[in-house]
Amino acid sequence: MASADKPINTDVPEKDVFALHFLQSLSNLRRQNTFNSPEKTNDRVKKIKKAAYVSMARAAGGTSRLWSRALLRRAAKETNKVVRFSRRKKRVTWLRRRSNRRDPVEEEEKEAERLRNLVPGGGAMETSKLIEETAYYIKCLSMQVKVMQCLVDGLSPK
Amino acid sequence: MDLSGRFGARSGNGVPFREVTGLESLHLGGGDEFRQMVLPENGGGFTALLELPPTRAVELLHSSSSSSSQATLHSVGTLTFPSNPILMERAARFSVIATEQNPNGNISGETTTSSVPSNEHIKTEPAETETSDQAAVEKQNNRCGKRKDFDKKVKSSTKKKSKSSEENEKLPYVHVRARRGQATDSHSLAERARREKINARMKLLQELVPGCDKIQGTALVLDEIINHVQSLQRQVEMLSMRLASVNPRIDFNLDTILASENGSLMDGSFNGTTMQLAWPHQVMETEQSYHHRQLQQPPPQQWPFDGLNQPVWGREENQDHGNDHNSLMVGSASLHPNQVKMEL
Repeated sequence: MASADKPINTDVPEKDVFALHFLQSLSNLRRQNTFNSPEKTNDRVKKIKKAAYVSMARAAGGTSRLWSRALLRRAAKETNKVVRFSRRKKRVTWLRRRSNRRDPVEEEEKEAERLRNLVPGGGAMETSKLIEETAYYIKCLSMQVKVMQCLVDGLSPK
Repeated sequence: MDLSGRFGARSGNGVPFREVTGLESLHLGGGDEFRQMVLPENGGGFTALLELPPTRAVELLHSSSSSSSQATLHSVGTLTFPSNPILMERAARFSVIATEQNPNGNISGETTTSSVPSNEHIKTEPAETETSDQAAVEKQNNRCGKRKDFDKKVKSSTKKKSKSSEENEKLPYVHVRARRGQATDSHSLAERARREKINARMKLLQELVPGCDKIQGTALVLDEIINHVQSLQRQVEMLSMRLASVNPRIDFNLDTILASENGSLMDGSFNGTTMQLAWPHQVMETEQSYHHRQLQQPPPQQWPFDGLNQPVWGREENQDHGNDHNSLMVGSASLHPNQVKMEL
């Protein structure tokens, strides 16, 4: 039971890193010939979205984070189906039985379940790790949103 | 490792605070107040107490409560305790606890249910503390120790235990405190350690998500967090849709976009909503610092956006990937003045 609680590091790289990765991926997309055709907007949207997530995962530190790894793995498989890896530590379910305070634990487990569905790679993490990854994920997501927002603003006609 | 052994080891090094921490580890009843009381204004006098065997120390504390005077304590050495009746009473309670030793021989007692309010307590009692005492308390909290502390709720003056979360995080080993009335087997202790970890991280999350500080209860906070994540993901989707619609109309140059991004990012007060307003302003500012070497073009005002065609794009891409972007990112804002005017 002796586990040290190291300080949790949730530093996210600067905006430029995100911008760089996203623009690189966009430029790669542009090189595809089929990309600029006016029809098939949905495909383009999906591709851009996927590029956004992948670039975010790379910008956020490649494989150093669980969720980024899961994202990249998902992208590499090129399937739209979300691959969920639903192995969880036995302790989680076991504790539900043993705990005296039943309601908060159960409530929390439900919420944790929802969170697992949202955060990529969440099914494989124990709750405390999940929360840490969520924090980092939120930061990266907001950074990515900012980058995309200013890109759109910059590119949209005045 | 029993009490006297620890004291003996500690008193060897002659630093008053270290010795203080030896007794500090008792988590004397009365929590912080007693802690303050025990911390000597006179460090030398304390060593006398330390060299006593634990039982004698307990007796002393007993007598301190009964007599409620400092006389007996003074007899030990030149110890000076503040004559606070509350502290005496708590000392009495502690003496009851102190006689119960766990197998390791470690004794500790703490009234506070968690050391977070106890730390606040420390700060709000300036009358009883010196700044050095506070430092000692903090030092004790930060000290590495291979021990399991069981806190006991002195108020009930039975073998009740209380929880302290902050201490856990400062020590290399997880020091779990058993809850009141709960068993102290390793499973529940592990569960408690886990819950504390989770709560610590939830605090982190609460700071991240706006508007979560005021909500009490983990379930609601988690709700809020989930909503936030969902909204962020929806935003990404929305923006990617907009990008997709905007994209084919413009042949944008990677460099210019990067540069413009860079310029606005360097500004620091980057805000998506104020983007459109801020941009022309930045254009003016960074016109002088423009140093992008690829774009050896006529005066920027005539920069033809439509003129950028794919070959240019391709060329600059090949050259730019890698080094150039780094230079863009690192250097001063190489903002192309007119690229902002996306008039098409």
